Amino acid sequence: MSNPSVEVATQPNLAPAKRGAGVTRRMLKRAWGFTEMKVAAVVFATMMFLTIFGPYIIDASATQMNVSARFLPPIFMEGGQYPHFLGTDQLGRDLLLRSLIGLRNAFAIGLVSVIGMFVLGCAIGIYAGYRGGWVDVVLMRLTDVQMSIPVIILAITILGLSRPSPLTIILVLILASWPTYARVSRSVALAEREKEYVRAARILGASDLRIMIRHIAPSILPPIAFVAVLDIARMMIFEAIFGFIGIGIQPPTPTFGTIISSGTQYLLNAWWITVAPGVLLALALGSLNLMGGVLERARNQVLQGGE
Amino acid sequence: MMGQPALETAAETSPVMKVENLSVGVTGRAGIKPILADISFEVAPQSVLGIIGESGSGKTVLSRALVNWISPPLTITGGAVHYGGRDLLKLPQREVNALRGRELAYIGANPTSALDPTIPVGHQILEKLKAVSPGMDEATARERVIDTLDAVRIPSSKQRFDEYPFQFSGGMMQRALIVDALVSDPKLLIADNITQPLDVTVAAQILRLLRDLQQDFDTSIVFISSALGIVADIADDVLVLENGSIVEHQPVSALLRAPEHDYTRELIAKVPRIWQGAETPPAPSTGDIVLEVTDVARTYKVRDRNRLFAHKLVRAVRGVSFEVRKGENFGIIGESGCGKSTLSRLLSCLEAPDAGHIRFEGTDIATLKGKPLLELRRRFQLLLQDPYNAIAAHMSIGRTIAEPLLIHGLASGRALREKVEAAMSEVGLSTELYDQLPVGLSAGQRQRVNIARALVLEPELLILDETLSSLDQVEQAKLLELFEAIQKRRGITYIYISHDLAMVRRVCARIAVMYLGRVVELSDNEPMFAEAAHPYTRALLSAVPTVEDKPYATSDYLLEGEPPDPIDIPAGCSFRTRCPFAFDRCKTEDPRLGADDGAGHAAACHLAIGEMPKPHANTAGGPDER
Amino acid sequence: MAFAIEFFLRRISQGLVIVLLVAFVIFTLLRIVPGDPMRIILGPMASQTTLEETAKELGLRDPMLIQFGRFVGEVATGDLGRSYIRGVQGGSTGGSQDADGFDPESRASVAGLIANALPYSLMLAGLGIAFALLVAVPIGIAAGLNAGRWPDKIGLYTSSLFVSLPNIWVGVVLIFLLSAKTGWLPAIGYRGFEYTIIPAIVLAVELSPVMIRAISVSVAQNLGETFYSVGLVRGISRRDMIGKHVLRNAAVPLMNLFGAQMIGMLLGGLFVVEYIFSYPGIGMLTINAVFQRDFPIIQAVAILASAALVIINMLVDFASTLIDRRLKF
Repeated sequence: MSNPSVEVATQPNLAPAKRGAGVTRRMLKRAWGFTEMKVAAVVFATMMFLTIFGPYIIDASATQMNVSARFLPPIFMEGGQYPHFLGTDQLGRDLLLRSLIGLRNAFAIGLVSVIGMFVLGCAIGIYAGYRGGWVDVVLMRLTDVQMSIPVIILAITILGLSRPSPLTIILVLILASWPTYARVSRSVALAEREKEYVRAARILGASDLRIMIRHIAPSILPPIAFVAVLDIARMMIFEAIFGFIGIGIQPPTPTFGTIISSGTQYLLNAWWITVAPGVLLALALGSLNLMGGVLERARNQVLQGGE
Repeated sequence: MMGQPALETAAETSPVMKVENLSVGVTGRAGIKPILADISFEVAPQSVLGIIGESGSGKTVLSRALVNWISPPLTITGGAVHYGGRDLLKLPQREVNALRGRELAYIGANPTSALDPTIPVGHQILEKLKAVSPGMDEATARERVIDTLDAVRIPSSKQRFDEYPFQFSGGMMQRALIVDALVSDPKLLIADNITQPLDVTVAAQILRLLRDLQQDFDTSIVFISSALGIVADIADDVLVLENGSIVEHQPVSALLRAPEHDYTRELIAKVPRIWQGAETPPAPSTGDIVLEVTDVARTYKVRDRNRLFAHKLVRAVRGVSFEVRKGENFGIIGESGCGKSTLSRLLSCLEAPDAGHIRFEGTDIATLKGKPLLELRRRFQLLLQDPYNAIAAHMSIGRTIAEPLLIHGLASGRALREKVEAAMSEVGLSTELYDQLPVGLSAGQRQRVNIARALVLEPELLILDETLSSLDQVEQAKLLELFEAIQKRRGITYIYISHDLAMVRRVCARIAVMYLGRVVELSDNEPMFAEAAHPYTRALLSAVPTVEDKPYATSDYLLEGEPPDPIDIPAGCSFRTRCPFAFDRCKTEDPRLGADDGAGHAAACHLAIGEMPKPHANTAGGPDER
Repeated sequence: MAFAIEFFLRRISQGLVIVLLVAFVIFTLLRIVPGDPMRIILGPMASQTTLEETAKELGLRDPMLIQFGRFVGEVATGDLGRSYIRGVQGGSTGGSQDADGFDPESRASVAGLIANALPYSLMLAGLGIAFALLVAVPIGIAAGLNAGRWPDKIGLYTSSLFVSLPNIWVGVVLIFLLSAKTGWLPAIGYRGFEYTIIPAIVLAVELSPVMIRAISVSVAQNLGETFYSVGLVRGISRRDMIGKHVLRNAAVPLMNLFGAQMIGMLLGGLFVVEYIFSYPGIGMLTINAVFQRDFPIIQAVAILASAALVIINMLVDFASTLIDRRLKF
């Protein structure tokens, strides 16, 4: 049988805060004190702004081919042309715009799939952890099964053999990643079950469902949700990989994977087709992950009792 | 113990440690806030210096400053700690390290987390011994550790040497840490609140052990504690610490007889009295039986690591019977592992007993389900120990108290708010707190939220499971008054589950003493304290740290060792392995709780009361001389 | 050591059930996706009658449970079946020369294909893990021991950056920089050990951020444990406390991480990296099999992958219980 105590330990400090809701506020306050946090927040906000409003600001097209403007280098290089800040691809389409749209699609897929796996995984996890007994054993063995099929095998099998669409991609991501959430929330719920507030609620006569939804979920989910935000980045990377292998969103809709993969043929004379979208993605995800890292440190400091 | 050693030389009379004007502060946003101010004292050779202070008085910081264990945000703002002619606070870290663990030893309040959990205890002590005396060879060092384990009376020390920290109980671990401290023959031992996490009987053993070892090892001890009764028991001189300053310094007997400072007087007055208290104990009720517990038992299964697919049975509760009458305060007391928390789970219907019945007003609560169970829960509430974990952080206070009304569908809208506010004022919470989150409430206020939440259902029976243990004396007294007032108003019945003998003495009319899953004595308040019928009860009473004269001498009743494992309960009387009076019959025949002797007193013991030493006469009066 | 026997008996039986369930899931999945495998086997030229006959011969028209039972029986004897497409000589048959009927003997055995590809994948994985450890262990330990100071910041920056880079992009960029542009290292295909280096770096970039974060968190956490500061006061040196106690305790959650998370990541990464670099390992074999709908290969790889995960997790958990005796099993 796998061991819950070990599992919790591999996670960042997921124990529900002892000293109440003030922890979240103090954590944010403390995190904001880090220079890294401010820089990352500004970068991330800029990226978000660009993905939403970029298409209206930049006077170019992401899908329209333009033979006269093929292989234009980024604007800061010799031969670069306005408004193609990051240059154009082999069909003369604007790379910045294509990357921004790719980023938007990836973010949407990442967000929806993370919400899905969070809800599904945590619901199953809390139920298993709270109920215990054979329900727990069956559900956890199910996650074992799910987790012993590597994500990529599952994805290429399902997406490669069916028709990839945003919906199927999201479903595959949820299917592949819910067990992580189930296991984490299960191990925390298992510990919560013995806590006094749950005992108190049971003694007051609250039903199991009420205890799970009204008492356990609100106290254990915030730290897990916080890890989930970082998972959006992971899902976006998966989306890029799917696109690269050809099992992601199909052309002509731009995705990181397809842009990078089409650029590989022109690496030697137009390396920016491949490099530019990657840099953009790294900026967006890097700032998100950096914020996550800072928040995690801030949270640990607050939990360790610093002011 | 009070006298100085017979042979005195000049070297032996010069102090072991001399603290001069020590000040420590904590660095915060608003600069440095003082924690200790101008502390000066000396530690005489072969003496025990007690330091007494309440929580927040800075006593742990002081104890750590003595071994130069002060790390940010704490900073030393002035003064010196002289040891062996040098100021510890100014020594380079390397030289401090050379002293620590060798000449200066420190034992803290938290024995269970003091050692690496993944390495056997003996090996860690060995590692320390080799670190502080590099020349020693493996075999000698090992022998030395095992000898010292024997010296602190750890049974089967050879085998214990290879066991892991989690296999040690708190008391055993504290002994092991004493070994760890003494194995290098230190000149000075600093013991910071070392009995705090321990049960009274175990704490008493540790105290006696420390006293013996102090003489055998020729060590001076600085003994820091928050319990005056404990310090009085072991120390020669006592320092009283209030808010980071020393307010009084006297030999212990003088301090108790003639305290000079108001704060000391207050401290002495706060120590609960068990025998010489002014209050008369509450009388048993003659009302109807509300709760009837008959032969209740509960056994848990744990996996056996040494046999294939086998389980061991942990017999947590083994045939407990008692009844509680309406309007009565019933006390259940016992030390850790006696089964009282399992009993609390059974009583509150969180688990069903394997055998026996719990009847509330005639209905067996184990048979209830659904609606009737919900109805039972309304009339039958339990208050838990930890005021921090028992209420959820994300719900407003008003919502928390309203939750039971919502669950039971008893009120809604305006009526709901009114009921909640009424409950809040009844327990002394301002109704302005209604929409606030519990963040920032004190432990006492939180416990009031807890109480209001239970009271809002208007229960008839309230079980208080260590409800007051985490509160300080003052807050405890206030809540006890509150419970009393509510009882008068509503005629509620209380069951107090506790380890606190003084509190039970004050409030409970009838008391059950539990040991190893059994009730060993069931008695009205007065007869139990005046002439306890079970040797275990007497041992408990003899071990309570108080400043008054006890009718039961520690020397007559001090228990050896620890309670047996509930997996492996000895045949016959389960207490016989530790009982000072055990005889042949106890080995074979398991004594059952006898019939009431007519004075509301029954015990599970083969001995008649007269066969035990007679309690010392003790008339009312102040604490007299030792 | 009764507990060890019980541990393995219990875990092996649980593991068998898990692998069986994985096999069932994959098997079912492959049979409900659109497309008749007979078309793939026999090619577009085969007539409907030949198709049906061959399908019956191969048992592909039996109820699925019976097919599954037969499959499990074969797997139990070590027979993973034969590829639909790849010929014994290697290379794809293109599915045309069998238009008149199917001779299973002409197709490569899946076990053989896997056995050929496995050493390459193991070599790549080993080198990737080695690179990742080389980067992550020093950075992670330094970060954990110096929480809040510059080594910690370096750990934070490296892990935040590396975790944000898709392996496909890193792969392509490294091919461009280290191979196409400079010619320092070969990149595509496999004609010698040096072909493993760039793919291994890509794997390491993917694995190291998780390791850095886990190591630093775990070390920092144990440094905050009471036993550490008490140990210093007990007279044990800081070096011994860290070397003998903190790192030992930190290892338990790390081992678990390596079992549960890392192996899954490694497998996933291996597949993608092999695909990018046309590296002839299991990943390449599988991705091609998916595109060619060569079901026997897909299901065999899935089963072997899950079996590997189950075994590694079992060993890791056992090692954890040996280090930390408090853990139940």
